[in-house]
Amino acid sequence: MARSYLFIPGNVPRMLQNMDVYEADVIIIDWEDAIAPGEKDEARILSETFLKKHAPDVEIYIRINAEPSLYEADLAHIPLNHVKGVVYPKSDTASLSKLLKVLPDSLDIIALIETPGAFFDIKTIAAMERISALFLGAEDLCSELGATRDPSGDAILFARSTLIMAAKAYGKDAVDTPWADLDANNLQKDAARAKNLGFDAKSAIHPNQVPLINRLFSPGAEQIKDAKRIIAMHERKGTMRFSLDGKMVDKPIIQRAYKLLEKARRYGLDGGDSVD
Amino acid sequence: MISKSLETLLDFVKPSDGMACSFHHHFRNGDNVLNMVMEALMDRDLTNLELYPSGIFPVHTSLIRALKENRIRNLTTNYISGPFADALNTYGLTGELTMQTHGGRARAIIEGENAIDVAFIAVSACDEKGNATGLEGDNVCGSLGYAIEDAIHAKKTILITDTIQTTITNPQIRSKWVDGILHVPSIGDPRGIVSGTLSITKDPLGLKIARDTIRFLDESGMIEKDVSFQSGAGGISLAITKMFTETLEEKGLSASFFTGGITKHHVNALEKGLVKDLYDVQCFDLDAIRSLRENPRHHFMSASDYANPNNDHRKIKDLSIVILGAAEVDLDFNVNVTTDSSGTIIGGSGGHSDTAEDAALSIIVSPLLKGRMPLIKDRVTSITTPGQSVDVIITERGIAINPKRHDLLERFKNTTLPLMSIESLQKKAHALSGVPKHSPAKGRVIGHIESRHGQKGDALYRKEG
Amino acid sequence: MKTVSVGTLESSDCLVTIKPHESLEIEIDTVVHDAFYEHISDLVRKTLKEHGITKAYVIVQDKGALDYAIKARLTTAIKRMRDDNG
Repeated sequence: MARSYLFIPGNVPRMLQNMDVYEADVIIIDWEDAIAPGEKDEARILSETFLKKHAPDVEIYIRINAEPSLYEADLAHIPLNHVKGVVYPKSDTASLSKLLKVLPDSLDIIALIETPGAFFDIKTIAAMERISALFLGAEDLCSELGATRDPSGDAILFARSTLIMAAKAYGKDAVDTPWADLDANNLQKDAARAKNLGFDAKSAIHPNQVPLINRLFSPGAEQIKDAKRIIAMHERKGTMRFSLDGKMVDKPIIQRAYKLLEKARRYGLDGGDSVD
Repeated sequence: MISKSLETLLDFVKPSDGMACSFHHHFRNGDNVLNMVMEALMDRDLTNLELYPSGIFPVHTSLIRALKENRIRNLTTNYISGPFADALNTYGLTGELTMQTHGGRARAIIEGENAIDVAFIAVSACDEKGNATGLEGDNVCGSLGYAIEDAIHAKKTILITDTIQTTITNPQIRSKWVDGILHVPSIGDPRGIVSGTLSITKDPLGLKIARDTIRFLDESGMIEKDVSFQSGAGGISLAITKMFTETLEEKGLSASFFTGGITKHHVNALEKGLVKDLYDVQCFDLDAIRSLRENPRHHFMSASDYANPNNDHRKIKDLSIVILGAAEVDLDFNVNVTTDSSGTIIGGSGGHSDTAEDAALSIIVSPLLKGRMPLIKDRVTSITTPGQSVDVIITERGIAINPKRHDLLERFKNTTLPLMSIESLQKKAHALSGVPKHSPAKGRVIGHIESRHGQKGDALYRKEG
Repeated sequence: MKTVSVGTLESSDCLVTIKPHESLEIEIDTVVHDAFYEHISDLVRKTLKEHGITKAYVIVQDKGALDYAIKARLTTAIKRMRDDNG
């Protein structure tokens, strides 16, 4: 349901204490790549102390480390009341199964799909009950593939489509990889491409990327209007199959309309209940 | 008379102890003229000087020497930045410091309260008769708006320039006001003239404040045909100027005029037809200077035509929206941009309280926390702009409307913007920062803030110890 | 026993240094001295007490950190000092 996921480093007070004003739907506190090996304890204690004291009003995940020896210490520092789940790097079936044995019950997992191998496991991963979303990590993937990314997205088209296919087949959210530079035009191209392919949301590595992502991944005014008309007609007729403006409407379209309207309401984009 | 020698010119002026001199700050931190003149006056061992610089910048080190040598009696200015404030603290004045507003200074000169003996006016070019401009020559600064009343009303007006031309197109200063011209090798350093706080903020909090300000303006219904607008040259203000003109473009509207200090963002709007006229008291960058020179819809104006409260034709009288900054605000919506919380001078009104009082909607934009220091105090350290003139405070964590604006409160009843009382906004800040210990500025009074109408306001202190 | 430093001198952060000492000595250098010096001093003492530290030399170089950050940096420093000393 979220539109934007923003990574913030777990060891920078200035960013932690402003996480709730960056307008991201989900904050991912990074304890993995953004934190040097010798500073993991600093980041864990800083993030934990902040969340317990200030309880920011935003959905929070923590990107834990991939190695069990590190993520066990990570898990010990996650304040469960304030964190919805973990983002798990370099996901594959075996590592996720191992993580699930020690993961506290209240936490769900967003699986970072960022190795070539993961794409052969992706169906199993998507099917796992506690996986809430599949998240494409294109930087790591491209370096393993020897591929070069550009705003056209050609290099990662297959990865994106495969991930979306698996996520949608199991009713999970598909979250797109961040765009790594701060050029707004490149981000616009990259994000529009992701949105058109079917991603539900996109991640950001800088707060200034968030407004554009939110705008792009929000339902548009026309879409909201159409969804309202479909739902109104459905409720009036009481059937799952009818024609509207000469086009056939059936169950998947009706379901999509409900989902879109829920997202619009959640982000304050629903201009009221009028249907004309 | 025209001379290449400052000494000859000073002989002509016949400077004496207690002389009142004025300067303008259009050359900002690239100005050589104030130092040149002050050093010469001090070398003549003059004391008890009355000084009226419209603004003081870090480059103005000769003023520190003058404090050290105890040569200044009274000092009247609109803005102080840099180490001069610390020197004031260390050495004090024999008389009083008065912090005026841009409009108030113009009013006080015209009405004789600021009685100036000699106005030393740096100009980028003039002709031999004394017609002068800031738009031609090697060291251009653009508008000379803050120097016009000085030129007209000083007993003697001396131009100082590095460029004498045969003709000056559209002179900003007229020869009939001018008594002498000093021709020097260089009046300034171009790198310091157009510089400073000119890039749009990249700070995510600043940009969020800017976006929320645009949403607020949009929901206020004030972004309509023929709206007028002013904002400063701070990073957040510039972001708002840019977003404001983008909003005009999206809505297919054009504004009637922008006032104040002009930047390339204002010029872009003019050139795209998104605003009909620019009224320019001060140019902040080279694009503004070029536009003032070339574009007939980009108008020069004097400080009096900008903001003098007793001038019925002042431009800001018709201003719809002004966007302003703050060092501190308080629960009564008073704003301080003159001192920090320990009482040290860090700026001054400039046009802050002029525009806040005159504009139909005055909005203060600022981060709610500056480092650990909360923006909102119970009472500001010193009042630059009274809360009576301030309508809205916009921060990254919430927006407070002045309760006296019933109309705005009514209009925003159902907004999705984070509206709250100023007390709640202060609580939000304190929840993060803790409650700061209030240690009011004290020490010996060194001067006062003066309202644009000439009333004595809050005292300024010279700290002890 | 070693000297341990945690944190940074970036804005809104603080650098906490702790080293063994025969008594409790606390040095606080903060950019918000007038408004928060006593508050920070109390917080540091309270946090040390919570961790049972009665003897140490503690230096806090503060760049406007909020309480949680000062507390977290100090807590990490204490843990590291103890880990280093087995």
